[in-house]
Amino acid sequence: MRFEFTAEESNFKRRLSAFLDNALPDDWRGPPDESRDDHWHLNQKIKRGLADQGWLVMSWPKKYGGSDSSPMMNTIFAEEMAYRRAPGHDRFGTRMFGPTLMRFGSEDQRIKYLGSIARGEIQWCQGYSEPNSGSDLASLQTKAIDDGDHFTVTGAKIWTSLAHRADMMFMLVRTDPNSAPHKGISLIMVDMKSPGVDIQPIINMAGVHSFNQVIFNEVRVPKENLVGDLNDGWRVGMTVLNFERSGIDYAAWARAALEELVDYVSAHDPIIETISSDPIIRRTLAELKTEIEAARLMCFDVAWRQGQGEVPSSEASMSKVVATEIYTKVLDYGVELLGMYGVLEPGSSQSKLEGRFLKMRLFYTSGPILAGTNEIQKNIIAQRGLGLPRK
Amino acid sequence: MDFGLTETQELIRRSAREFLKDQSDSETIRSVASGNYDALENLWKKTIELGWPGLVIPEEFGGAGFSFGDLAVLLEELGATLAPVPIVESAITSWIIERYGSESIKSEILPQISSGDILLTPSIVERNGSWDTSSTTVAATKSGSNVVITGEKRFVAFAQQATHSLTTIRMDDGELALIAIPIWKAEGIHQTPVDHASGVPVSSITFNEVVVPEANIVATGEKAVKAIQELVSAGSVARAAQLAGLGRAVLDATVSYTTNREQFGRPVGTFQAVQHHLAEMAIAAKQVSHLAHSAAWSFSREGYSYERAAQAKIAASEKISALCWTAHQCHGAIGFTWEHDLHLYTRRALAWKTDYGDAGFHKSNLADTMGL
Repeated sequence: MRFEFTAEESNFKRRLSAFLDNALPDDWRGPPDESRDDHWHLNQKIKRGLADQGWLVMSWPKKYGGSDSSPMMNTIFAEEMAYRRAPGHDRFGTRMFGPTLMRFGSEDQRIKYLGSIARGEIQWCQGYSEPNSGSDLASLQTKAIDDGDHFTVTGAKIWTSLAHRADMMFMLVRTDPNSAPHKGISLIMVDMKSPGVDIQPIINMAGVHSFNQVIFNEVRVPKENLVGDLNDGWRVGMTVLNFERSGIDYAAWARAALEELVDYVSAHDPIIETISSDPIIRRTLAELKTEIEAARLMCFDVAWRQGQGEVPSSEASMSKVVATEIYTKVLDYGVELLGMYGVLEPGSSQSKLEGRFLKMRLFYTSGPILAGTNEIQKNIIAQRGLGLPRK
Repeated sequence: MDFGLTETQELIRRSAREFLKDQSDSETIRSVASGNYDALENLWKKTIELGWPGLVIPEEFGGAGFSFGDLAVLLEELGATLAPVPIVESAITSWIIERYGSESIKSEILPQISSGDILLTPSIVERNGSWDTSSTTVAATKSGSNVVITGEKRFVAFAQQATHSLTTIRMDDGELALIAIPIWKAEGIHQTPVDHASGVPVSSITFNEVVVPEANIVATGEKAVKAIQELVSAGSVARAAQLAGLGRAVLDATVSYTTNREQFGRPVGTFQAVQHHLAEMAIAAKQVSHLAHSAAWSFSREGYSYERAAQAKIAASEKISALCWTAHQCHGAIGFTWEHDLHLYTRRALAWKTDYGDAGFHKSNLADTMGL
């Protein structure tokens, strides 16, 4: 056991941190709001800078644009990016779809797409959920009909983050309506500029356009865009979720938020002086710090296991649960700690910390819901991790 | 970061599991808890043969020279089996003597701990029940080359078996000090046993003008303050490691019970409400284990991280006792009986929760390190 970074890892973290000092505006507080054009441009600029450094996909093989590093390096990268609330990290491409393509894609597909992800050239989005298929994903109905050299796709995807910024979508479609729900699904890649793709914004409860409904009206998708075998999409698609389910971003966001709160209560503001010495507040902040470190270690355990060649499904679910829970807990406490000022909206006069905590608390309500709700994760932990019977 | 066990640690875990499976069974634990200490002394003799009391003592003093991180692996197993032996007490006191004691006190005491001739247990808490040692009142007056000690320590684990106690005292100049006091049938020493939920012997010790050679003082002044802080921190981490093991054992037992117990024609473990309880228990056990090992790893001959020690004890104290209550809920009525072993774990978790500072104590100290 060793509970510290190696010299190489620490060195990388320092270089990334220095890069971000340079790349982020001096007054940057985040979090990035990709519906704003200025934030999106910053995202693109930083992404290209990170790609130039070779940092977007370090754990990938060299021939696909990576540097054969351990999964630990990716986790350190993700942690630092999230801790700084930095934009410029296409998780859909680098963390979810890229690794899946490496495992299930053809060599032609790998060459065509992995390099562009590594170079930060295209933005991906994920087409899984549908209006009537949430936690019960295998009930999805968007259909892809075999039309000779292409599929014709018709249906709707929903809660699609960044569809309005994406170049490509990897999506699950029903290719065999007659077999069992899990058996008739395939995973395909779709160009978002294809005729028949209609992107309809959905504004979330924080007032941000972060996700969308995407309507597919007889969209032609070349057959070469099928990933893995026909009707094997459930297995391919679930692999994506295993890559997706790390809580490291949430653990790092939580740490950044806690530090902001500690700084806030420690500042010599006459209005708040009374609370920095309050024993209950002190203990609560210490408890949150403890919970964050516990979540962080869970996430690094996942990375370590991946480095050992495991697919740590139950551990990844655990890390997602604890990290999303602690992050919303920290944000909750932030709103509470700011008292009457905690419920002032961003941009309001008299707001404290620019109304960030209220906005983040509302925004990250999504954390325990997305990528498989925390209740679904607990089912996975109980059944796959602990071996409890399903029936 | 590396979450894997070293070869040494694998060996410690394997041999501990094998040994404890037969030696620390329900009958032994219940017998000790009811005040029959023959079983305890028997088990202790065997652990001495295994070299466990000297695990972290350097080889030059007859120990195994293992790290504190290695010790934590053993402690998880001792916690999982509720082994009623004073390994924590022995390990942390020898650790502090090695770190802070003079060469003469080290060569006097450490080899005898390794050989099992000395059993040293810490006595820190007094009547106010606090682990904040700034309130220490047990008084030491200098008298020639001796000190004369008067006062009372409470909640001293295994005091009835110990030959010596590593005791926090206040010198006549007002400074704190740490001293090794012979307590086995010594003049001026009076023990009052308490009936403690841990199920292991716990007593208060009254010192009535006990004469101890000045050479037994391990540290005084600022050095003593540091040594005492490290002693409490080491105890916290040790208890956290035991609690991690205890939590894992209770989780395993609950998985097994809910898999086999049938209601409505199916195992109760198929119900989502029960599965979610178990998932949360699994998360808690894993978090506490990670924090405990991270904290134990930070202890070296050069120093340690109080921040990690505090986090380990905060999480262990709160999460493992909660885990036990959830286990009771999952077991239903059977787990509410005296016959069933589950309450042995729950009692131990409650006792360990308070040892070496409870969650509130460490949260308050951790807040200091955060600049609050």
